[in-house]
Amino acid sequence: MVSKIMEVKNLQVGINHDNRDVAIVNGISFHLNKGETLGIVGESGCGKSMTSLSLMGLLPPGVRWQDGDIQVDKLQFKNFKNKDWRKVRGKKISMIFQEPMSSLNPVYTVGDQIMEMVLNHENVSKKLARVRALEMLHLVGIPRPNQVLDEYPHQLSGGMRQRIMIAIALSCNPEILIADEPTTALDVTIQAQILELMKKIQNQLHMSIVLITHDLGVVAEMCDRVVVMYAGEIVEVAQIVNLFDSPKHPYTQGLLKSLPDINVQKEYLSSIPGVVPAPGNMPIGCRFAPRCPMAHERCKEAPPLLTTSDGSEVQCWLYDDGAEKEEIR
Amino acid sequence: MLAYVIRRLLHTILVVFVISLIIFFSVRLTGDPVSVMFSAGEPSKEAIAELRSNLGLDKPLAIQYGIFLKGLLTLDFGESFRSGMPVGTLIFERLWATIALALGGIFVAILIAFPVGILSAVKRGTGVDFFGRIFSLIGISFPNFWLGIMLILVFSVQLQWLPSSGFESIKHLILPSITLGMILSGILARLVRSSMLEVLNQQYISTAKSKGISEWSVIIKHGFRNALLPTVTFLGMQFGSLLGGTVIVEQVFSWPGIGRLIIDAINQRDYPVIQGGVIFLAIIMVVVNLLVDLSYSLIDPRIKAGRGSQ
Ligand SMILES: Nc1ncnc2c1ncn2[C@@H]1O[C@H](COP(=O)(O)OP(=O)(O)OP(=O)(O)O)[C@@H](O)[C@H]1O
Ligand SMILES: [Mg+2]
Repeated sequence: MVSKIMEVKNLQVGINHDNRDVAIVNGISFHLNKGETLGIVGESGCGKSMTSLSLMGLLPPGVRWQDGDIQVDKLQFKNFKNKDWRKVRGKKISMIFQEPMSSLNPVYTVGDQIMEMVLNHENVSKKLARVRALEMLHLVGIPRPNQVLDEYPHQLSGGMRQRIMIAIALSCNPEILIADEPTTALDVTIQAQILELMKKIQNQLHMSIVLITHDLGVVAEMCDRVVVMYAGEIVEVAQIVNLFDSPKHPYTQGLLKSLPDINVQKEYLSSIPGVVPAPGNMPIGCRFAPRCPMAHERCKEAPPLLTTSDGSEVQCWLYDDGAEKEEIR
Repeated sequence: MLAYVIRRLLHTILVVFVISLIIFFSVRLTGDPVSVMFSAGEPSKEAIAELRSNLGLDKPLAIQYGIFLKGLLTLDFGESFRSGMPVGTLIFERLWATIALALGGIFVAILIAFPVGILSAVKRGTGVDFFGRIFSLIGISFPNFWLGIMLILVFSVQLQWLPSSGFESIKHLILPSITLGMILSGILARLVRSSMLEVLNQQYISTAKSKGISEWSVIIKHGFRNALLPTVTFLGMQFGSLLGGTVIVEQVFSWPGIGRLIIDAINQRDYPVIQGGVIFLAIIMVVVNLLVDLSYSLIDPRIKAGRGSQ
């Protein structure tokens, strides 16, 4: 029986422009099951990072949580104060970022940076924290961990640094790991190793992963389910098999069509004509309609999220024609 | 590391040599010392000639320079034309006062500028930032003699809390340090603010936040520690120039420092004191610079002394 570990409900985050709320993420809802890897895909600027940062309460200055809620276990993030967030970050939910080269603090040793996390969340001695740090280095497959513990980030390669980031993120045994393009900055072989490592550790520690990427090859490799985002909204949620075998939304189809080979994913994004509209300048009705080959009269009205026969959810009028398709929103 | 220090020392020697050339010849442009040394009446030709040869001024310039240089090698700066005291002694008598004032000024500057700069950066765009920046601007544009005089009026004359001149105790250090520190803190706060802003945008700050550590840990431990490098560079350079450049403050507070020693010497065309004083300050400058460079590798492990810091 699958159980939900996190539920995002009608989340809206955005900026305030000229005294007017401009949504960057426009009321999205999805959930994360225990032990699964959920992919979030979409072109650049679709709001993937904003979504993932909201899960940690780490929105950049100027960007505000405008509406909706996120629930993890019994916790409701909506009314969280800073000190509530601090108990969640690193302990319940951890995050790794895209740029391993700049994600680590250059002036502290690897060991110090792992220990900082442990000492922050657990009531252990420095000595024990150091032992834990060493264990973590073993876990993420760092060669000669004893030395690396006392080395500085600049002495390590990009792949090694991303492993260290994973070690930090997982050092307090979080239930959820959010990985925002964890391998984009790495070259292909290293990329594969890091993904392999994440999978291995996920099985060992039984955690759930939210994997943000615009690489469908990575999605195919890693994910159980996928959320497809477009212009701050969710346009499709599908099991991995359905996503590749029968993509529903024309946007998803476009993304897949432009994927030449699962191992080569360069520049696939450019093949859907047009660009993602900017927040505050969104088309009325379906946001994808201006770029959609199947757009028709009805698309002037915003489509609801519909469930299809194979269980995919899709926000498109094309799927509003049969009796088995039930409106869920 | 050792090779680096040695290279830097050779470097220093070259710098000191060049400065010795410049100061030796430029001092001789200030005028003839002998003409200001007779207090009353028209001196006889013989008296002038005798004084000249006593002071060694009758020898050819090249020889004079040679003597000066030879003295330098043995750290003997010669004797004052005026008092006959060894220049080295004159300088060292005043060295403590000068260093105390420079350190006092830097201390006050740090005390003010670090919090102001950090807060300005953290609360960027808010009222706090606004006041911080106004403060910097005032600090930078304030004439320091005016601030010094105001402080004397209020704290020495009116309230009679603190002495206004000389250097006999720590208490004497307070007002001049504040005067110097206020000016310095304007620039320093700006520098701290801008380097903090740059650092706070870095990805590792997000990483630090994602660990759930306190906001101030993020700001100080992860942010400020990285913003320290440009700050230390600046302070090191300031320390060097404060040693010779506090003349105005020294005047206002009748501070027995090296700056005033040199100014007086220039007025009296006391060549050895001018030469000795300037060379001495130059050496301190270079040494402080070297120390600052060496401290980089302590602050930032990416920098190995001798590599990247030049
Ligand atoms: N600090 C900010 N203030 C205001 N708007 C922002 C800010 N950061 C990002 N945005 C806007 O929010 C939108 C979504 O950005 P986000 O970074 O979430 O996209 P993304 O899907 O992660 O893209 P990418 O694949 O390039 O990482 C973009 O239109 C971007 O311009
Ligand atoms: Mg992103």
